[in-house]
Amino acid sequence: MQLENDSRGSAPVWRTSGHAMTQTIDHRPVPGLAPQQSQPELLEKQLRTDIKRLNRLSNRGLWAFSLFILVSLTAWRDFPMLPLPDTVVAVLGPPPPPYVISIVLLFYTFSAIILSLSRMTAGLEHKSSFCHVGYLTCFFLFYHFAKALDDNFWPVFGAGVTILAVESYRIWSFCRDALSRRHEQLEFLQRTGRMPPEED
Amino acid sequence: MFNSLAGRALVPVGIAVTGFVVVCFLLLYSVIKNVVNRDTVGHATNLADTILRSTRYAMLKSDRETLTTIIQNIGQQHGVEHIRVFNKEGIVQISTKTEELGRQVDKKAEGCIGCHAGAIPSSTLGSMERARTFTNGEGREVLAVMAPIYNGPECFNAPCHFHPPSQKVLGTLDIGLSRQMLLKSLAAIRNQMIVFTVMILVLTVGGVTALLRRSVFLPLLKLRRVAEQVEAGEHPEAHPSHFPRELDRIAQSLYNLSQKNHNAGEDPAAIEKGTVPKDL
Repeated sequence: MQLENDSRGSAPVWRTSGHAMTQTIDHRPVPGLAPQQSQPELLEKQLRTDIKRLNRLSNRGLWAFSLFILVSLTAWRDFPMLPLPDTVVAVLGPPPPPYVISIVLLFYTFSAIILSLSRMTAGLEHKSSFCHVGYLTCFFLFYHFAKALDDNFWPVFGAGVTILAVESYRIWSFCRDALSRRHEQLEFLQRTGRMPPEED
Repeated sequence: MFNSLAGRALVPVGIAVTGFVVVCFLLLYSVIKNVVNRDTVGHATNLADTILRSTRYAMLKSDRETLTTIIQNIGQQHGVEHIRVFNKEGIVQISTKTEELGRQVDKKAEGCIGCHAGAIPSSTLGSMERARTFTNGEGREVLAVMAPIYNGPECFNAPCHFHPPSQKVLGTLDIGLSRQMLLKSLAAIRNQMIVFTVMILVLTVGGVTALLRRSVFLPLLKLRRVAEQVEAGEHPEAHPSHFPRELDRIAQSLYNLSQKNHNAGEDPAAIEKGTVPKDL
């Protein structure tokens, strides 16, 4: 029997495969599972593991936000650990003009917000916050090497705050819904010894 | 706040719309600022070229008195902070500020380093590279432009004084213009954009909030009251109306349910049989 979950984080689906249950809903092995444990105990253990994982995931947006603030502070100080823009430009060639970077930043912000809202609407579990920090760092670096970071620091910072705030809210609300479902399932399991029927 | 339907619907939309509008405002302001700065540098470069052309004849004749008078007169114009003429060694030959005469400038200073960065000084620079901004001794923001005074045939062939033809640059004219007007214009543009941005935000977020409240949240509140009435065993006196189509079906079901319960309460036989009157 194996516990599976659809991507929207709805009620888990249990399938019989003839093997002991050794995976969580994200197909990771459950630590400390013994084959001699009874089925309700295994289910309960898996639900608890899942609750822990969701609790950790719900803070992911905040971690990404903190990392972005750290990158922004470094950008505010003109990336003191990096070589001077002229040195990098001499090696890599000239960067795109600042207005091109600004147009790309505008389209990126628009797309990222639309994508995040779409994922929120569809209830998809997607852990994309940290890659946004990477993209935003690239914008800071491009402006830095184009010697236009002074004029364009705040647009990148504003874009980052907006995208990461929407993403953090999406991940947090997804985890909160999934957690409340897991707690209900756990409570049902403890009361009846079986999993609740699957919801539509 | 995040548990209510209003919070869930409005928080992400509010963050997304507010953030995107603010980013657009910041980018637009940055673009406008760059355009205005570039135009001002262009204007200052043109003015420097005009001064050089006006003084060319006096320079050829080595007429220092006329040269000084022209530069002093232009220097008195509103918005002109300083005009200096340096020779090849960086010594101030003519200036609108007499105390600067004879002083030598550091070639590594801002404004000079652009050409004097390497061992051999560059003789040509783009207009934006020739410009610099700083705060002068009186605490005023200044935009200064350097314009090189190039050697020419009429110069190195002149009988009065001689420069070798190999010397490309004879000296530099440095003109400083006040940025007060520019900063005032930028501040006016910024304030107007802030007002427009706030108005757009209020209209968008306020409009969405008002429409959602009127079309969704208030009917839901009304529906909740009906549900609570039915749950408490009370019978709604009239059929609940004025619901949007989707909610109207739920309200109808709740009303029918309460009607059945009400009739079943009046007819004990129906309760025993577990049936309800069919006319409902």
